[in-house]
Amino acid sequence: MNPQLHGIEDLEGTYLFDLRASSRALRLNRLFWSLAQPAVRAEFLRNEEGLYQRFALSEQECDLTRRRDWLGLVRYGANFFVLEKFARVLKKTNLEVYAEMRSESFEDFMKTRQVPDAR
Amino acid sequence: MARIIGGIGTSHVPTIGVAYDKGRQAEPAWAPLFDGYKPVARWLQQQAPDVLLMFYNDHANSFFFDLYPTFALGVAPSFEVADEGAGLRPLPRIQGHAELAIHLAECLVNDEFDLATFQDRALDHGCHSPLPLLWSDKPEWPGAIVPVAINVLQYPLPTALRCYKLGQALRRAVLSFPEDLRVAVVGTGGLSHQVHGERSGFNNTEWDLRFLDLLEHDPMALTRMTHADYVRLGGAEGAEVIMWLAMRGALGPQITKLHQNYYLATTTAMAVALFEELAA
Repeated sequence: MNPQLHGIEDLEGTYLFDLRASSRALRLNRLFWSLAQPAVRAEFLRNEEGLYQRFALSEQECDLTRRRDWLGLVRYGANFFVLEKFARVLKKTNLEVYAEMRSESFEDFMKTRQVPDAR
Repeated sequence: MARIIGGIGTSHVPTIGVAYDKGRQAEPAWAPLFDGYKPVARWLQQQAPDVLLMFYNDHANSFFFDLYPTFALGVAPSFEVADEGAGLRPLPRIQGHAELAIHLAECLVNDEFDLATFQDRALDHGCHSPLPLLWSDKPEWPGAIVPVAINVLQYPLPTALRCYKLGQALRRAVLSFPEDLRVAVVGTGGLSHQVHGERSGFNNTEWDLRFLDLLEHDPMALTRMTHADYVRLGGAEGAEVIMWLAMRGALGPQITKLHQNYYLATTTAMAVALFEELAA
């Protein structure tokens, strides 16, 4: 246990990305990371299943990705900063992804913000 | 001899860059942010630093988790803007300062800070989101950058105290550089925000303002906090404010705050603060 994280387990809704998560989800994170490249983005849109194979995703990883289960992906070990590249491919904004992870509609989530029209 | 003329703390949210590129500076939702940078931009214009020594983190753009350095110093003569998957921003390439950066690397390793160095790695929004609000990018950036990447993505992160000590070591190294250079130190990131899990959207303005106060008056109190403390108070991704402590460590013990702006619009509290050292 990392002593800097003592007590973190009491904090709900938070899944810190550590080396355990990174090691477990390296292939999944590599796929999302690669989506920063236009060619991989195009390949994703053309043949999503083929890309899963090329990056050797496990069945669980394929399932989470297929279902766009943002919260499930984060819990599994996807790092948000590569996950947001996946969101870009799907034309989703980060704000929409936050709302989904909170199980709220986008409109309801934005109502909780101080300046809802700042986009 | 090179000298440190002041320090700046700034958020580096990518939305700042998007709003800048779309020309939203005067829109009601964005003016409170952009106006808050004007005194800092004026100070930089008047003080004309040759180099910004900038603490930032790479958001899995130029580094991936197969090899993600704890501390990495950019020693290249110039740096590209990273394409993060949404296309290239219309910003010019920024000059590095290889001689200073190499001197810093030599000093730090001999000071037992065994950091990584990089050359052909583009700089992402960790640097480029606030840069055009500080320095004019047209037609060219007016000075050079020495980027210092800090791992705030993949735990174990360097401790708050270690970041502060990194700043102190860099201060010693800058002051021993023989050329007359004016260096401003920039810490980026924060303030409170969380972008993953059910706790996404967490903010804590009370903590943010206390952090800004402690940074000026009692940085040692901040170095005693654990990452769990930072996550609890400022949100998971808000823990990246330990990069402001690196900036603070590079300044002398007594500083004064010339300017501060704080604006929370949607999910990340956006702040900028400008510090000068008080004469000993």
